[in-house]
Amino acid sequence: MWKEYSSGYMKHNRTSGLSVIIAAFISALLLSLLCGAFYNLWKYEIERIELGEGGWQSRITGELNEEAIAAIKNHANVKDAIVTIKNHANGKDAAVGIKGDGDIEEVAAIKEYASAEEAAVRDEGEAETTVELYFKDMRKVFADTLQIAEAIGIPPEQVSYHYGLLAMYLIRSSQDPAPRLIFPLFLVITGIAVLSLIIIIHNSFAVSMNARLHQFGIFSSIGATPKQIRTCLLQEAAALCAVPVFAGNLFGVLISWGLINLTNVLLGTDVPGRHEAVFGYHPLVFGLTLLLTVITIWISAWLPARKLSRLTPLEAIKNTGELQLKRKKRSPALALLFGIEGELAGNALKAQRKALRTATLSLVSSFLAFTLMQCFFTLSGISTRETYFERYQNVWDIMITVRDAEVDAFGETGKFQKLPGADSVVVYQKAMAKRIVTEEELSKEMRSFGGFSHASGSNVTPTEGGWLVNAPVVILDDASFLAYCEQIGISPQLDGAVIRNQIRDVTNPDFRHPTLMPYVKGEAETSVLRQSGKEELTAEIPVLAYTEEVPVLREEYATLDYYEMVHFLPSSLWREIKGQVGGCGEELYIRILGAEGAALAELTALQEEAVQIVSPNYTVESENRIQEYETNEKQIQGMLAILGGFCVLLAVIGAGNVFSNTLGFVRQRKREVARYMSVGMTPAEIRKMFCIEALVLAGRPVFITLPVAVLAVWYMLKASYMEAGSFLAEAPFLPIAAFLLAIVGTVALAYYLGWRNVRKINLAEVLRDDTMM
Amino acid sequence: MNILTCEKVRKVYGSGENQVVALDGIDLTVGKGEFVAIVGASGSGKSTLLHILGSVDKPTSGTVMIDGTDLSRLNQTQAAIFRRRKVGLIYQFYNLIPTLTAKKNILMPLTLDKRKPNQEHFEKIVNTLGIADKLEALPSQLSGGQQQRVAIARSLIYRPALLLADEPTGNLDLKNSKEIMDMLKLSNRNLEQTIVLITHDEKVALEADCIITIEDGRIIQDEQRR
Repeated sequence: MWKEYSSGYMKHNRTSGLSVIIAAFISALLLSLLCGAFYNLWKYEIERIELGEGGWQSRITGELNEEAIAAIKNHANVKDAIVTIKNHANGKDAAVGIKGDGDIEEVAAIKEYASAEEAAVRDEGEAETTVELYFKDMRKVFADTLQIAEAIGIPPEQVSYHYGLLAMYLIRSSQDPAPRLIFPLFLVITGIAVLSLIIIIHNSFAVSMNARLHQFGIFSSIGATPKQIRTCLLQEAAALCAVPVFAGNLFGVLISWGLINLTNVLLGTDVPGRHEAVFGYHPLVFGLTLLLTVITIWISAWLPARKLSRLTPLEAIKNTGELQLKRKKRSPALALLFGIEGELAGNALKAQRKALRTATLSLVSSFLAFTLMQCFFTLSGISTRETYFERYQNVWDIMITVRDAEVDAFGETGKFQKLPGADSVVVYQKAMAKRIVTEEELSKEMRSFGGFSHASGSNVTPTEGGWLVNAPVVILDDASFLAYCEQIGISPQLDGAVIRNQIRDVTNPDFRHPTLMPYVKGEAETSVLRQSGKEELTAEIPVLAYTEEVPVLREEYATLDYYEMVHFLPSSLWREIKGQVGGCGEELYIRILGAEGAALAELTALQEEAVQIVSPNYTVESENRIQEYETNEKQIQGMLAILGGFCVLLAVIGAGNVFSNTLGFVRQRKREVARYMSVGMTPAEIRKMFCIEALVLAGRPVFITLPVAVLAVWYMLKASYMEAGSFLAEAPFLPIAAFLLAIVGTVALAYYLGWRNVRKINLAEVLRDDTMM
Repeated sequence: MNILTCEKVRKVYGSGENQVVALDGIDLTVGKGEFVAIVGASGSGKSTLLHILGSVDKPTSGTVMIDGTDLSRLNQTQAAIFRRRKVGLIYQFYNLIPTLTAKKNILMPLTLDKRKPNQEHFEKIVNTLGIADKLEALPSQLSGGQQQRVAIARSLIYRPALLLADEPTGNLDLKNSKEIMDMLKLSNRNLEQTIVLITHDEKVALEADCIITIEDGRIIQDEQRR
């Protein structure tokens, strides 16, 4: 009987069922998309960790002999073990894989090879062996590694774990203090999504079920038990949702596939530290998503079904599900603007407040997030462009970073300086030293703002003779240093340093428009550089000049520590003093300026040629200014597209809720309309009322967002010392207006469809209904 | 002077085999200031007649003139304006706007017409109906009797040419029924309000000046009592 009743109802009330179908589809799609995206993010993160740090789970380091390695291999839970032998004396190393499940002969063969490699590495001194372990059962990694270490006589402090990787499998140790929140974050977001969806779909079910409260009251009065009513409602829910849930899940997988590919296109794969994300989908993920969706929908249907089945027959028969207010409410603004229609619309919205809560929250937060995001990225884009790309536009075209090289011993400088297509090449390195600045040395301008009185203890240390300040040393190749001397108008020579004699008024925090002034008087003919940390080790060098003009390098000075005193030195002088001063960085930089107005293709060719000079002997990284600018633009656009996509998803949830209300509340709203008409409200006035409702619902995000966005932008402008005019000239009015129009259009459509159903009213018939109380 | 004239009013629902004749050639006149009760069994067509008189429904054929307006010629908008100016409708289940206070419900027809209420008239009505202290309450905060009083006040506020009441006491207890009927009689006598009342309760009908009995969509008896 119930089956017949339900199928009959669903057949004749397609609109009411439609809102449930839409809600179930959207929920399934969102959950599937979320799970698909998270699975791929999780997979990507694991790949990233494995590519960068290796896929080992734990590591044992020490002097390990063959027996120890064999013992490791023989442990029942060890799947793979990679042995690396490093000789600190000669810098040689060798890596040998030992497969845990290989047979004895295979292992012996590997061992033999390993021994040969080892011999080559060991022959010049003491070697250290590291065994990277891969386990069959990863969850036992902590216990089993310790057990292995103990068995081979290695103390626990020589055991390390790949906490970052293990955390991705939710394997945590109390020894790891890092929060590692990625996986828990995924779980929390999924949980929030499930709860949010339950609220939305629950509402659709409630609307659809409440519309038949009267009928269930009648059923109950003739003896239907609460369980029978509940079962009937849940059966209907299952019948309505089966297809949309499956379809939504499939679409979700499809969209997550699209999202991953889009991410590759938008964020690029040529960015350092980023690799191509390959879409993956495990059947288990599909099964889990489907289960999650079914549970979500079942809870959503069960909640109103339970509530409905518990009503007494009298309550059910009396209840019309009509919009009611518990307390008197006022809508003065709407009444003032639109008259009685405004007041009725305001009251109707207040009466639907609970049902429209999700819509309001989703629409407001999506628009707010979208607006703030657009404003933030615009501001950040302007700032990056002004402070980086435009500022350094004529400073560099190609930057090459060479690892483990020293500028005074670097033999390729000449080759770089002869590169065809390169207008200017500087090879330089940075070191960190200290220097004492005496009271007498200070310029009068520097004294005017209080000298070192504003300096923090971490940057400046008062000493007996003055103040110990940081003295970054920029060591230029000799040719570039001579050119620099010519640039600042002094006689080119290599036996001294040039000191940057400039400090900003530290009392003015506006970093965009700093007040610059001389740091010292510039009278001292020598400068004493001290080793950082061992200040008693010093080197006195002649000062060739004090200047505000710095070499053309992609470097910023005194940005974090306003009191640092930068010294520019030729590499030949550095060779003489480096023993005392030390503090030299491990990286050497090559700054290349190409021909003026060179295009990307020319710079790329120049970059390739330059890299070829050093890559055979060194580890190098290279950057290309135009390429970097384009990549940066692409990344910003990518971030905007991805974050914007989430805002759109949020808006879709809101719009779905509006649709489910306007399409689901038809019967109740027909009654409401009948009442208005019976007291003489014309169809045009009722239409006006519906329009006001839609306008308020769609306009609310603007009214809430506008002041918040103005405040946020004002704050961001203030914090970044940017002028409002610069922002307004590039303010993202168009995308924000487009997003708003989409919200307004969707809400208008939902109300139009709702109105189309409601207006088809037979007033006499509705008034004849005995539930018209 | 007749305020209401019905000539050969016929109302048919459905078509073919499912055709139902709800009203079959109703001829009826009601003079200004008259209190008429229409009685009949369930399904006799009395509610259909009331809906047609209230311009809520249209006759299939025949003419209905109220205060000089031919109802059959009105479109939806004109019918709505007619309802808020010429006829007051009182329903068994009150039919108040649940989101508006009693006062706003009462003033709604005037508000829709953008007219200002006559304060004296408003106070007279609410005092007479005994709801002066309930004006700020929502319908859901009022008892059945109080809701019906608000509905009556709403239908009297714009001094309609004709007051149509559909089983106004059908949902009330004896005490409230009597009070509502007293108020209708009072408005009929003191304000010369023309009233057409539909009821199946003979005791209620006996309060009217004239009792018209309908059966199968036809008037079978027209009894002038006063």
